[in-house]
Amino acid sequence: MSISLGTTGRVTQVRRIGLERQRRWFLVWCLAPALAVLVAVTLAPTIYLVVTSLTPLNLTNPMTAWNFHQPLLNYRLLLSDTRFQNSLWVQAKLSFWTVTLQMLIGIGFALLLNTRSGMMQALRTVFLIPMVLPPIVVAIIWKVLYTPDISPMYWMAKALGWNLPTFITDPQWALPAIIAADTWEWFPLTMLMVLAALQTLPEELLDAASIDGARSWQATLYVILPFIRGTLMVAALFRLIDSIKAFPLIYLLTDGGPGSVTEVTNYYAFEQAFNFSYLGFSSAITVVLVLVALLLSWVVVRMTGWSAEA
Amino acid sequence: MKAVTVSRRGILQATAGATVALYAPAVLGKAKSKYAGTTIHGGAFSLPFHQYLKNYFPEFEEQTGIKVNFDIQAFPVYNQRMDLELSTGGSSYDVIIVTFIYQNRWIGAGWVSNLDEFTTDPNVTPADWDAGDFVPGVEASMRDAKGHTYAYGVEAGAMILAAGRGDLIEKAGLSLPTTMDDLIKVCEAVNGKDGVAAWTADKLHHWNWPPYLQAMGGHIFKNPPYNLTPTLDTPEAAKSAAWYANLLTKYGPPGVLSFTDDQAMQSQLSGRANMRTNAITWGLPLAKDPNSRVSKTVRYGMVPRGPAGDFPGVACHGFGIPAGSRKKGAAWEFIKWALSKQMLSRLVKEHGYPSVCRRSVIHSEPFKEALTLNGQDVAALYAKVLDQLGDGSYMRYRTVPVFPQVGDKINRAIEAIATKQMSAEAALKQAQAQAIEAIRMGGYKVDL
Repeated sequence: MSISLGTTGRVTQVRRIGLERQRRWFLVWCLAPALAVLVAVTLAPTIYLVVTSLTPLNLTNPMTAWNFHQPLLNYRLLLSDTRFQNSLWVQAKLSFWTVTLQMLIGIGFALLLNTRSGMMQALRTVFLIPMVLPPIVVAIIWKVLYTPDISPMYWMAKALGWNLPTFITDPQWALPAIIAADTWEWFPLTMLMVLAALQTLPEELLDAASIDGARSWQATLYVILPFIRGTLMVAALFRLIDSIKAFPLIYLLTDGGPGSVTEVTNYYAFEQAFNFSYLGFSSAITVVLVLVALLLSWVVVRMTGWSAEA
Repeated sequence: MKAVTVSRRGILQATAGATVALYAPAVLGKAKSKYAGTTIHGGAFSLPFHQYLKNYFPEFEEQTGIKVNFDIQAFPVYNQRMDLELSTGGSSYDVIIVTFIYQNRWIGAGWVSNLDEFTTDPNVTPADWDAGDFVPGVEASMRDAKGHTYAYGVEAGAMILAAGRGDLIEKAGLSLPTTMDDLIKVCEAVNGKDGVAAWTADKLHHWNWPPYLQAMGGHIFKNPPYNLTPTLDTPEAAKSAAWYANLLTKYGPPGVLSFTDDQAMQSQLSGRANMRTNAITWGLPLAKDPNSRVSKTVRYGMVPRGPAGDFPGVACHGFGIPAGSRKKGAAWEFIKWALSKQMLSRLVKEHGYPSVCRRSVIHSEPFKEALTLNGQDVAALYAKVLDQLGDGSYMRYRTVPVFPQVGDKINRAIEAIATKQMSAEAALKQAQAQAIEAIRMGGYKVDL
């Protein structure tokens, strides 16, 4: 009896393993089309980028394609390229200031607009306008604002007797000018995300804090912000990654100048590829940029413990 | 009455006959070229030439049966896109502008077609089209080492001095400057008068500065196109760059360092800035544009010379056919028509087009008439600049394959000097080092 029971148990176990395997294969086959698309769309170009970065590919010289005689040459050149190093520093400054300002302003506006009044809801829509404008239009708006001859800002300053510098050609002001424009364009995104998170905040938490005698700033600091920490992390990461892709504003407003004051790494890679045809070198710059972005994202996630929470 | 017999064969014959009778005239009317029914695609950056020429496209289409589609883009966008398009051997375009600074690169890489195949065939190009009529200095950069021609000049952007407010200069008891020293004296005397800045320029410093570099005895390369060692770190270059940066910052309107071509021209048209040296195409609207506020006060002259002589820039853009085009015959029909003596003469007579590259048109009476502005013979100035160009040797720096890379370093160096981020010596030393690296990366040797 016990023998037959044991056999039945084994049979059941074998059947369960078989079912489990079938289930796993079923899942694999279900995922296969999506994975195939992912490989084709994301992984293959990335691999091609890395492979290209190991060649001196120059569009004017077909012999340079698939030439792997000195695979690390581009990376060696980067080590001694002061303009590349400067572009990394400019990128760091741009990313730090744009992400910080967009987060602070976004949180501030979200807290202000987190009411159910009709006027505030209308205001929310108005604040979203910069974000939904095409980036080129945003760049043109700021180009007009920063051009002394045609800018209402300069006209007003002149009427008040102020002498404003030409922001986009002044080395002290060119980067802040880009930061201001970028912040204007993208703080609505953080505002929107934070506002959505605030709408899910249970009233009971705030009531409890209020009963415990917490003032409004204490409730914000100890109840609201911890509650929306996950959203803040996502918003900061989105903005950080996006700041590394900054392009239209720089292209239209400063062209990376004056000198190289606003030349970020992304823009430097664009110039090498599309103005000079040095695709191999540009790929190496882009690979470094991708690695930096991945590293930064990882550090941010680890530092905040967001992944553990998730 | 005789009965009429209608047979099946009779009906078919009558139908075929009627079809031929009805359609033949239309077909024959259109079949004026063996390429009738073909559509060619053209690519160009924004030039007044295209604005004028496109008015006559219907005539070309009527004459040949070839349809023409042109993509017009901004200068930097066009160059980037066309560089990429040509590098892939693509067949999207059949006629393109072979941009001056890309000529050596595109021709050297075999990306554009040898046009001698068309011009030497009398069945394709009649002798009176006269390929030898194009200004030799203009054509020099559009030929390869063997003398084959790859493009024909559409625009010779000959640099002249245009002073929108010549009256202010005269009021100050001065005349248009002819030397670099005079230029500073004039700027000093008229800057800020009537709220007008004395000088203006666009931000393409690698085009605007070299005439003053060469006038002070400096050069961009040692001996282009044979020796591409950059020579940006010389004392002459530093002196000239400092002089030019000072011209921009001390006498230019606010924001001059960010000006595009259009902005610089607008600053003159609106009377906010006075003098500028640039291609004649950008100077003539001051007299001819209906919106110009300076049409009565504009004066023209030669680019001021320096101790080493005068070297007015001349940028010659031409029409060419991409190597990958599948409609080369039809494309040549278009080029032949657009750059014929007759068409260029019409552009001069009907639109006052100034940058013609054919000698017979430049020396014609209608050209002189069209370019007599405020009583000044601007046609003679134009002809003088083209004479000065000679065989084009002093402009060779601009057509070497690595010029876009080196030009970028020059732009950034001038900006750094003008904004006082660096001294002229330091900025050009840095530009020299970066240029050497870029030239080596392009596979060229330098003497170091």
